[in-house]
Amino acid sequence: MKQILVVGPKKDYQRIINVLYQAGSIHLEDAKEDTGEIVAISPLDTFNSEEISSLLIRIRGQLQILTPSDIKKRQKIPVLDKYEELTHEELVVAASNLCDSLESRLRILENRKEELDIRYTTLLRYEKIIRKISPLEQQLPTLEGFEVTILIIQKEFESVLDIIHPFLSDITKNQFEFISADLDEKNIAVITVFSKKYASKVHDFLYSKNVNEVRIPQEYTNMPLDEALALIQKDKDAINIETSQIEEKIRDISTEWYKDLSTFNVLLTDFLEGTLAYSQFGQTDYTFIVKGWIPQKSLPATRKILSENFGMSVVVHELPDDPDLLDNAPVFFDNPFWAKPFEFFMNLVAPPMYREIDPTPLFAIFFPLFFGFIVGDIGYGFVIFCFSLTVRHKFREVPWVFQLMSILMISSISAMIFGYIYGEIFGDFGEHMGWLSPFTIFGISWNRIESIIPLLTLAIGIGVFHVFLGLSLGILNSYRRHNTRHIIEKAGMIGLISGILLLFGSYTGHVPGSVTFAVIILVFISIAGLLYGGGSRGVIEVMGTIGNIMSYARLMAIGLASVILAFVANRLSQELGILILGIIVAILLHTLNVCLAMFSPSIHSLRLHVVEFFSKFYEGGGTPYKPFGKEPL
Amino acid sequence: MAGWEVPIGAAIAFVGGAIATGIAQSKIGAAGAGAVAERPESAGTIIVLEAIPETLVILGFVVAAMIIIMVE
Repeated sequence: MKQILVVGPKKDYQRIINVLYQAGSIHLEDAKEDTGEIVAISPLDTFNSEEISSLLIRIRGQLQILTPSDIKKRQKIPVLDKYEELTHEELVVAASNLCDSLESRLRILENRKEELDIRYTTLLRYEKIIRKISPLEQQLPTLEGFEVTILIIQKEFESVLDIIHPFLSDITKNQFEFISADLDEKNIAVITVFSKKYASKVHDFLYSKNVNEVRIPQEYTNMPLDEALALIQKDKDAINIETSQIEEKIRDISTEWYKDLSTFNVLLTDFLEGTLAYSQFGQTDYTFIVKGWIPQKSLPATRKILSENFGMSVVVHELPDDPDLLDNAPVFFDNPFWAKPFEFFMNLVAPPMYREIDPTPLFAIFFPLFFGFIVGDIGYGFVIFCFSLTVRHKFREVPWVFQLMSILMISSISAMIFGYIYGEIFGDFGEHMGWLSPFTIFGISWNRIESIIPLLTLAIGIGVFHVFLGLSLGILNSYRRHNTRHIIEKAGMIGLISGILLLFGSYTGHVPGSVTFAVIILVFISIAGLLYGGGSRGVIEVMGTIGNIMSYARLMAIGLASVILAFVANRLSQELGILILGIIVAILLHTLNVCLAMFSPSIHSLRLHVVEFFSKFYEGGGTPYKPFGKEPL
Repeated sequence: MAGWEVPIGAAIAFVGGAIATGIAQSKIGAAGAGAVAERPESAGTIIVLEAIPETLVILGFVVAAMIIIMVE
């Protein structure tokens, strides 16, 4: 990353900005200076940013209405060529005119659609209630001259009926019917029928008691309930037809204008963002100045485009590399293709500082390794590979799904390799069939169920290596910043942990006793280093680091749980005795295990990196590289 | 020769870790669900946070394994 100054004649500043915007390679920094020699510059065009913002809100609102679910993808691509030549004023006028012409039409259609939706929902409610009470119809008196009111009461407050009943009896001089039926799991519907002359008194009373009252509209009363239901159905059909007609009209408008509106949205958003960058530009009496950071590899192209447009009159000046300034340089990930998908994980933490090591390639190496170590099954690996390949292809336009599935695909290959070493195809099924058997290395079988302790030791050994690697990277980061204390602290930590491990090895007889004295000296020197580098906190940190190393035992423990579940699936299906049933049970249990195998090992591998590994060297807090330019469509 | 005390001891070591992990995860999960509802972009961080207490059950497992090995 290079820090540059672009200096050109002030008269050309609007053009220079346009060219830099098209180039889209400079991460802007404030070019103004406190000395007052370089001051702020305003956009050449006068414009009202509030007017453009409110216009954008209207456009986006209309776009939302005009996006029916069946819209073809190509309709979403804006027609940039049609409007690109317009000045911003012409663009604002054109966009406003289109918005005005569409707004009234869309508002009428939307309002009507909303009304119909509400009416439809209400009808569904009436229908549900009437269906519930229809079996009670013969119990009701002739409805002429009577009013039917339905009360909805929660079952837990059913006792309130005993309170209402005597009051209604009193109001209606005992001329009423009171029938209740379950409406759904939570509510009961109570039908009250009474003479219309008492209607107002009854409603007032129910209102005063805060009872949820549903009045069946006039058009559905004074008729048998089945006729009312038929009428409701007819009304629902009419609503459906009208709703479809409205949707058809909206679709027609969408076909005609969606692309144009979408283009206005893109162009006006670009314009607004471009003008917001003006606060970063500077000017002197005769020159216009842009300051910023540019990736080394983009510098020649940017120089070329400026020279093509302005000849020698615009100069790109590289500022000298200042180590302190480099800490403020923006960062972007520039990893090889095999590590690219793993940048997904780096989005979970703050980006690294400019002079810090980018851990993405290490993620790309160790994540699949850990995943494979845990899953370790050819069958599961193959299923995960097929699954991730399919989902990756199906959702290739969704970046995060694509990245995640790429990670899973790479990891599944590792799972198959480890599966070959462990001799596992769907647990012990492969071994049972005589297809393969676990490797034996140094006389130790890699059968995971039998070799619990060797694998546990190996997992912790991997932890020691990974944590030491993290500490070593921490030393490298501190070296780059010339931070001697941190270097000594991390070296002390490596020394002390190594010493503790060697002493433990000596105690168990795995390390010759002759080295004990040297190890004790190493331990004391390391403690001194820790105290110098990190004070008392540095020494306390040792316990944390040992805990971090032990945490790698999960590599073996989670894998063991997975293999035992696979083992149970195979054994259970064998025990059932009925072939088909056994196959079904085995498939179900293995499917469950594959789902778990996709989720749990990923989370734990991720956690081992973010918590155990990163804490040894990673600081983060860098500024992401955001070039001044058009967002890719 | 170790008797029934060894597996029981190992089981207690493991169960202690498992229960502690469960308690910690339930609290992190509840708070995390709230955080994700308000800020969906924090989902990745919350998933990692949710996995952190599992160290306890793993350590419980290691201690259980050590009990069995050392007594044998």
